[in-house]
Amino acid sequence: MNDETYGKGLPRKIALALAVSATLTGALLSGGSALADETSCSPYTPLIKGQEDLVYVWTLGVKGVGDGSDKLVTVDVNPNSKTYGKIIHKLSLGGRGEVHHVGLSDDRRFLWGGALDSNKIYIFDIGTNPAKPKLTKTITDFVQKTGFVGPHSFIAMPGRMLITPLSNNKDHGGETGVVIYNNKGDYVANHPMPKEGGDGYGYDAAINPQKNVFLTSSFTGWNNYMMDLGKLIKDGEAMKRFGNTSVMWDMKTMKPLKVFQTPGAPLEVRWSWKPGDNWAVTTTALTSKIWVYKQDATGEWQVKDVATIGDPAKIPLPVDISITADGRGMWINTFMDGTTRYWDMSDPMKPKETFTKQIGSQVNMVSQSYDGKRVYFTTSLLGNWDKKGKDDEQFLKMYNWDGKDLKLAFEIDFYKEKLGRAHHMKFQARDLSTLKPLDLAQSPPAQPALVAQK
Amino acid sequence: MWRITRPLIRVGGAVLVWLACGIAPAAPIMDFVPPAAGTYKLERIQPATEGAVLDADGRGRRLSEFTYGRITLLAFMYSSCADPNGCPYALTVMHLVKGELEKLPVTRGRVRFVSLSFDPVRDTPQAIALYGRDLGGAGQHVAWDFLTTRSRRELLPILDGFGQDVGVDIDKATGKPVGTYSHVLKVFLIDRNRIVREIYTTDYLLPAMVLNDIKTLLLEDGVRLK
Repeated sequence: MNDETYGKGLPRKIALALAVSATLTGALLSGGSALADETSCSPYTPLIKGQEDLVYVWTLGVKGVGDGSDKLVTVDVNPNSKTYGKIIHKLSLGGRGEVHHVGLSDDRRFLWGGALDSNKIYIFDIGTNPAKPKLTKTITDFVQKTGFVGPHSFIAMPGRMLITPLSNNKDHGGETGVVIYNNKGDYVANHPMPKEGGDGYGYDAAINPQKNVFLTSSFTGWNNYMMDLGKLIKDGEAMKRFGNTSVMWDMKTMKPLKVFQTPGAPLEVRWSWKPGDNWAVTTTALTSKIWVYKQDATGEWQVKDVATIGDPAKIPLPVDISITADGRGMWINTFMDGTTRYWDMSDPMKPKETFTKQIGSQVNMVSQSYDGKRVYFTTSLLGNWDKKGKDDEQFLKMYNWDGKDLKLAFEIDFYKEKLGRAHHMKFQARDLSTLKPLDLAQSPPAQPALVAQK
Repeated sequence: MWRITRPLIRVGGAVLVWLACGIAPAAPIMDFVPPAAGTYKLERIQPATEGAVLDADGRGRRLSEFTYGRITLLAFMYSSCADPNGCPYALTVMHLVKGELEKLPVTRGRVRFVSLSFDPVRDTPQAIALYGRDLGGAGQHVAWDFLTTRSRRELLPILDGFGQDVGVDIDKATGKPVGTYSHVLKVFLIDRNRIVREIYTTDYLLPAMVLNDIKTLLLEDGVRLK
């Protein structure tokens, strides 16, 4: 395993300092030029323009594969690097807890990762040495503090983290809420999902600061997501227990504004960050629909089913999505057929599928670079839902996209590398030669007080 | 919208330059009506950190003297910051909000603003005194204190406690600091019991929102605003 440290032999790159500034805190500044590097980022997280240097892959441990442990894997993705396309670091967590998603802090110095079964939340320092993440805190009392189970999405707010759990500790069903932690990893508050007009289920969240709102979606509870998929599909009663609603919230008051009927488990939610746009999108896993949220002439939020993905009768299972930086395109992955689909979103109310490519036997997550030219895919959905046998491919694949075709740039077989199931990804970029943390190393002499301290 | 008024011209440092050149800080878009003060609750996010600071007269003080007993709006800054969406923007917002609060006599003794520099080398007490001239002082309802620290040794625990990241920008060729800092702009709203109740970054630092949040805390304290 190559454990090359970041500062050795790597070319100088655009400093994160240039990106991590107050200028680039979101896509909705009046200049309109700051847009997400990959679209599951919070608008409050500093953005990376240009070439990403690293991708972190949140990886589920598999019994008998390497150390069998969940882990955070770091891959060098700068094409100018000697270790391009190679794993340069891995951090094992010493157990398996069904790790799932990660989220960046509001200053991009920390990466939060959750486990849906153990309910642990891991906080990694990715700012001090981005090539060697360091575990700084493990939250082990999430259930005791909140009453919820399965911390799923981590969306940065100023000084805080918005967390969307999937389930609850009473019946392990789908009723849940949203939770706030401060950046130090201390619990702040929780707000139940509305049940009036809704099912009380949750999954993902996406913030629109310009409108002071955030949108949540819905999935299913622990009883279902930890069940073997083959067994689940045959359980008629269990199959009824999937979310069918999404909710628009007032971000300041943390009160629900409206509950939408979006049947069939609406999963990932994203806002278009194109200046002037004011719409959000989700896709439904069980009904294969694209839904778009917009305000009507009176200012009320409405949602509309605008397209169908694949053949719903075959339940292709739309999973992760990624909107392009200009809001004009969107990648949608379908898990069961291992396919990615590019949709023209120039008119979000009339999207068109313009490109299709099979990535593998199964595919889940998709992340794209700021300029859309590099697209990354991973495979795992859930430990008990991933395919079995030879169809259980686990990989990270990166493609170059020229607007017409995806061309494979590199791939890493996560089983061959004895890592596990490859899941969520986040980019990082930092040129340590041009940015150093504020510390005492170069500190000039202290200035004397003019008057003795009281 | 918030109008740039004559008093703002007298603000020192980078803001004066920006305004004179007609380059006002670019404000985030607020396409909503903020909820009315008192109709929501601000969560208790974290304790406000203690620390050793210097005031504009160069006297050694405890930070808690400036964060306890009153509702405090605290911004980390440095006087030579030239990022229009950074420190100058925070200064502008704070000035505008202060202007509105000055219309409410009940704010006297109940609200204060604090600007704390994270550049103790250049932001000496004399420098920050000049920077903050005309912004705070006697005869106004809302005091505005400008603070610095004796050294990074005193500064770093404060930054770490509040969760304010600061990076020193380095020249690629020489490896030496270029004199600027990279940081995510953060402004903290602290209640009179030294609990942080709101944190604003640029996209969240909206004058109307900040004003309503301060009023919400005043109402929480039982203050009648009219």
